[in-house]
Amino acid sequence: MKRVATVAALLALTLTLAGSASGAARHRSAPTKLTVWVGWSARELGAFKKLAAEYQKANPGVSLNVVGSINDDKIVAAIRAGTAPDVVSSFNSYDVGIYCGTGGWIDLTSLMKQSGISTSMFPATTNYYTQYGGKKCALPLLADTYGLYYNKALFKKAGISGPPKTIAELTADAKKLTIRNPDGSLKQVGIDPFIGFYENVPERWILPWGGTYTDSSGKAHLATDSAWTKWLTWQKKLIDWYGYKNLVKFQAGLGDEFSASNAFEVGKVAMNLDGEWRVAFIQAEHPTLDYGTAPMPAAAPGLYGSGYINGTIIGIPKNGKNTAQAWKFVKWVTTNTHALAEFSNAIKNVPSTTASTHSKELVPDAHFATFLKIFANPKSGTSPIEASGASYTNAVQNFATKWQAGTVKNLASGLASLDKQLDAQVKQAKGGGVP
Amino acid sequence: MSPWLVGFSVFFGYPLVMSAYLSLNHYDLLSAPRWVGLANYRYLFTIDPQTWTAVKNTLWMIGVLVPLQVLGAFGLALMLARARTGVGIFRTIFYLPALAPPVAATLGFVFILNPATGPVNTILSHLGISGPLWFQDPGWAKPSLVMLGVWGVGNTMIIFLAAVLDVPRTLYESAQLDGAGPLQRLRYVTLPSISPVLLFAAVLGVIQGLQYFTQAYVAAGVASGQASQAADVTAVSLGYPLDSTLMYPVLLYQHGFTDFQMGYASAMAMFLFAVSFVVTLAIVLNSRRWVHSGAR
Amino acid sequence: MSAVGVAVPFVRRRPPARVRRKRMLVAIANHSLLIAASIAFLAPFVFIALTALMTNDQALSPNLWPHPFAWHNFIDVFTKAPLWRWTFNTFEYAVLATLGVVLSSVPVAYALARLRWRGRNLAFIVVLIALMLPPQVTVVPLYVMWAKFHPFGFNFIGTLWPVIIPNWFGDAFSIFLLRQFFLTIPEEYMDAARVDGCGEVRILVTVVSRLAKPAIAAVALFSFLYTFNDFFLPLLYSGEQPHNWVLSIGLSEFRSLHQVQWNLTMAATLLVMAPVIVLFFLAQRAFVEGVTLTGVKG
Repeated sequence: MKRVATVAALLALTLTLAGSASGAARHRSAPTKLTVWVGWSARELGAFKKLAAEYQKANPGVSLNVVGSINDDKIVAAIRAGTAPDVVSSFNSYDVGIYCGTGGWIDLTSLMKQSGISTSMFPATTNYYTQYGGKKCALPLLADTYGLYYNKALFKKAGISGPPKTIAELTADAKKLTIRNPDGSLKQVGIDPFIGFYENVPERWILPWGGTYTDSSGKAHLATDSAWTKWLTWQKKLIDWYGYKNLVKFQAGLGDEFSASNAFEVGKVAMNLDGEWRVAFIQAEHPTLDYGTAPMPAAAPGLYGSGYINGTIIGIPKNGKNTAQAWKFVKWVTTNTHALAEFSNAIKNVPSTTASTHSKELVPDAHFATFLKIFANPKSGTSPIEASGASYTNAVQNFATKWQAGTVKNLASGLASLDKQLDAQVKQAKGGGVP
Repeated sequence: MSPWLVGFSVFFGYPLVMSAYLSLNHYDLLSAPRWVGLANYRYLFTIDPQTWTAVKNTLWMIGVLVPLQVLGAFGLALMLARARTGVGIFRTIFYLPALAPPVAATLGFVFILNPATGPVNTILSHLGISGPLWFQDPGWAKPSLVMLGVWGVGNTMIIFLAAVLDVPRTLYESAQLDGAGPLQRLRYVTLPSISPVLLFAAVLGVIQGLQYFTQAYVAAGVASGQASQAADVTAVSLGYPLDSTLMYPVLLYQHGFTDFQMGYASAMAMFLFAVSFVVTLAIVLNSRRWVHSGAR
Repeated sequence: MSAVGVAVPFVRRRPPARVRRKRMLVAIANHSLLIAASIAFLAPFVFIALTALMTNDQALSPNLWPHPFAWHNFIDVFTKAPLWRWTFNTFEYAVLATLGVVLSSVPVAYALARLRWRGRNLAFIVVLIALMLPPQVTVVPLYVMWAKFHPFGFNFIGTLWPVIIPNWFGDAFSIFLLRQFFLTIPEEYMDAARVDGCGEVRILVTVVSRLAKPAIAAVALFSFLYTFNDFFLPLLYSGEQPHNWVLSIGLSEFRSLHQVQWNLTMAATLLVMAPVIVLFFLAQRAFVEGVTLTGVKG
């Protein structure tokens, strides 16, 4: 009796599953359905969907299903579980080492050759962060560069004429622009250097300080590259000037970064390290804000004008059913000058082919032009692409978080053990160790 | 029995054996498992600095939360048992938080204890006290989780209340005749009568403490919410702030389902299994009552 | 309890005034403590509700009282996030799992309590072990199993089925609870039915289920609550598919994913708490009886 019930239950289950599977098969005769995962949400997602609609109109054989708000954790999980979509895109390149290294995203080299797409179409930095281990498993889809946003109204009030260019100026301006409440807590902050706040991660701060990650043999050398020590010492000193606890409390009272209550947009921080997309956010949310953009202040005059570059990448997960159609779409969206320019205008990200950065279609914008310049600066760069993926920069970030909280007693020995940890991590990810 | 046996084998027996097997392998779900012997365990116990942080945090939570929950529930139950009016209302009030879904309760607490905009610090500052940073401070994050745990003590309280009310009145009366004061009556009548129930609650607390995940994971994620969202946030939110809420199950989840080190996560699982098994065994052996009362 | 109260004849003398005054003071002290504790227990709900009614800007200030009351927050949360979809998923999980737990656990518990068969004690010990082991112990291989299992090309990862299906094969806690309750049912009832020629299945359906109603209700209630509140397993299996999220996952990601402030987050929090609290007021007695049952029988 019970056995009969079990069999019946299993049968019922099988039937439901079969039903849904055959249901999917029946729709195959319709246009090829491509599922595209992207990180954008809200307004920016709308802009991407518009782009997708344009592609669909020109290619009636394809129907695109765009899913937004996807982050790297979800992408990695889906690839492992075998549930990845046809086309997948990530906001950043941190995990390219994993995507290429494990074969989770397919190598596009042969497809590119067939279609006559050469890597020379893309600027060098974007080429670097879309490959790993001799495999080209992603293409850039607009790029992000980071610079300094400053509130002109608050600058005027504090009697500062223009954006800081050196670290000394940055420190002085930050202090001048800081306002405290009677009880000592922070009401307005000049610049918040706290790692973990909004866009603050070490890799974006270190570039204008001239810090690098590895020596010529590929070993991590944060302890011996003096830029790291200088930056971390400066950062901690400024945090201590605000008061670590004051800063934490201040941050806890700020609005969400990607909402209209963003601390820079409402004038609670006078200067902020942020990506070029903020220009579009401000335009949409606070069009009357009186602000300017500039490169981050640099530790040496030769470094001024450089900045951190990263960008959205797009690729094709393995085991996809419609690789040919997926590639056609990826190719169009990453190399078509019109598509890139139009999308760049909509979400104010830097167009990612050399041709499109000069496109006549680009709407000129003084705020945005700063970032195009940073993008073209030869000293600009990105974070290392390693087999351990985001874990590499995460380890650096973890260290900086402990450092700023004051739990690292000796910076030199702390950085030395961080170097060891980074090297061990890469070795492990390459399969030399466990886990 | 047969469907249960099938289910049990598929959903319990098989994974247990597989867990042991995978713990001796390097496995990332993409390529076939690769035999590595005891290397995962060696890494777990001797190299990974996060292991002991997570173990210490978990033990801290068990050591502080369980006694406080038992004491709190017992105190409330005693007060309710003595109350003459409004028992139903009070009981409902104390029980309601236990019903709040853990994720919702955690979110509520992270907000209420927000150092800048939360009501608790606002009220404290009106009283001239500068409140702590709660979930934003490595020293206060676990105590904040303890407060959340004590708030949701309703289930235990109901059990204790039933037990306290079940103590025969005559026992109290005879104790009173013997000249025992209220404290002595508590010590010599109430406590011995309900000690099995207290023990049960403590044991359950320890078992739940070993799997403490949701509150720690959600609190860390939400409290670190000011962190960058364009980049990978796990670096900041895991155990935020500064690994203070990094519980063993959270670390296991991170290794297994964010890093996809399935072999390594299995090794972690086997260690958890060993600890839980010892705890369970100790309980089963010490209270044969549960196993044999029904055998008759 | 009340029966005892009535049965004890009230023959005690009226205590002297001094004792009465002391009792009175104790009672007042006790009630003051109770009231203080009640305020502490209720305060979080009150603050959550107040914040849920604040405007964006106000939620970012330390003000305590909403000004003005933003009732539309409760409409806005539905447009900001697919709350209905998550509610549907949550109920789908909770209802199907509860049904499975009850239907599968009752026979097993009956067999463990009332049928004589070889290995019964061993089976019970296994249930106890399963009851006490953290779910994290078996979670990795289970995930691998579901990830590698693709009948007819159907992917289980990303759906809620991997968390629903196991419930149809018995749940250790429910089996344990039901078994303990079945043991308290006098054997005579079953014997009488057996004499009447009933099979064990019939006894289970007609006699035992009826007598064990409170225990079955408790098991259903707990199972529903557990699954309604569950976070870990749904996160594991459907974490990457937002349209298959349950409320608890949606809520945990609500603030960062939808770029909202605390006011809407608290409104959503309140809405997620509501169904369970409503259920509690509808079935208060079953709740209290059920909770007591777990404690006393355990």
